[in-house]
Amino acid sequence: MNKKSMSFKLIDAVLILMMIVPLACAMAIQVMTKPAADGVAIEGARIFFTIPMPIQDLPITESQVNTWLIMISLFFLCLYLTHGLTEKCESRRQAFAEWIVEKTDELVKENMGEYFKSFSPFVCGILALSAFSSLSSMLGIFPPTSDINVVAGWAVIVFILITYYKLKGGVFNYLKSFTQPVPVLTPFNIISEFATPVSMSFRHYGNVLSGTVISALVATGLQGLSHMLLSWIPGKLGEFPLFQIGLPAVLSLYFDIFSGCMQAFIFAMLTMLYVAGAFPVEEWQKRMEKKKNRKKKTAQYETVK
Amino acid sequence: MQNLDVISVNIWQILISLCNLLIIFLLFKKFLYARVRKFVDQRKANVDAQYVRADEAEKAALADKQKYEDKLKSVDAEADAMIKDATLRADRRSEKIITDAKEKADDMLRRAQNEIELEKKKASDDIKHEIADVSTLLAEKVLEREINSDDQRKFIDSFIEGIGDGDGSDK
Repeated sequence: MNKKSMSFKLIDAVLILMMIVPLACAMAIQVMTKPAADGVAIEGARIFFTIPMPIQDLPITESQVNTWLIMISLFFLCLYLTHGLTEKCESRRQAFAEWIVEKTDELVKENMGEYFKSFSPFVCGILALSAFSSLSSMLGIFPPTSDINVVAGWAVIVFILITYYKLKGGVFNYLKSFTQPVPVLTPFNIISEFATPVSMSFRHYGNVLSGTVISALVATGLQGLSHMLLSWIPGKLGEFPLFQIGLPAVLSLYFDIFSGCMQAFIFAMLTMLYVAGAFPVEEWQKRMEKKKNRKKKTAQYETVK
Repeated sequence: MQNLDVISVNIWQILISLCNLLIIFLLFKKFLYARVRKFVDQRKANVDAQYVRADEAEKAALADKQKYEDKLKSVDAEADAMIKDATLRADRRSEKIITDAKEKADDMLRRAQNEIELEKKKASDDIKHEIADVSTLLAEKVLEREINSDDQRKFIDSFIEGIGDGDGSDK
């Protein structure tokens, strides 16, 4: 391994710093703005300020701010991983970057097929943003994925993609697919079409939020339990949170880490499957052939002319 | 500070979140995938080129090997041919030397014979002269008369010629 220059190390340090600073900012905002909690309170994101907009006012909340900060952090993570790439793959950092690219490529290829090769950055984006948003609750900040609006935005993109790829098989075919298998089912088909993004967003948001809710409930319950058992001891010792020591950590392990990563993976997986499933390969090929034939015919006609 | 309700749908927030995902997708595409792919592709191309080069080198080596094996085989044949050729030439040369020597010897023999003949002839001529002189002297002494010495000589010459003819060995 060749020795790295001073400037290289300096840029590395700056990039790492820029990765950490946004998250630290989020924590600082949380610490400075959060009022002291009293009892069990399950609430949505705190509103920092509201921008008047047509139709509906836009409140800038914790979830937006945290998402942006996480995005900045992710952006600098990208820059850090791709800093000092070489052809020979000398650093562990590059090996990791290549591993990410390779794995997502593989995942996309397996689940979507060769045609959707260019989807891997999108899938990776969903995975990273979702996972890091959920994991941000480990830092004590409000996880953006527990806000329905954030996840709904992602689901809307998926819905647009699904519709776009369904339309590739022809507009008439797309409309006809609503009356399949019998015309009576048309309203249900329409509902199921819209149910896809709704179910996706609610699944993800619900899982992350329920983690928070259950954690809060269990913490409060354990507080009550320790109070019940130890209240006969006079003084400060009576308020000792005996049961709150270990169990919340185990719950956090499940709800924050496992559930967060799992939901990210599920969301990405569903995106891939829905989008790939929406693309009617045979219809599309037929249309392409027809187009080709038409072109050929017009070309022949012109040559004859 | 106000809090949002646990479930509260806001179109603009959804739109912002949608844009966020698109932005992160573009960032990933541009700053992670494009960069990494560039180097991976480069490496792949390099490795492919190296494989092609290795194949070529192997092919060349095999061709060389074949060539040398053929050469080795042909070297044996060549050596055989050379030995045969050398023997043939040596044979021819020895034959030539022998014939040359024979010829020379024959030549020398002939020359010697010729010389002998010449000597013989010369000797016989000398003897004839001697005899003639002696006989002239004898005749002078015997006859003691003066005669024309030329006539006498002619006479004696003819006589001796007759002797030589009669002898036969003289040509």
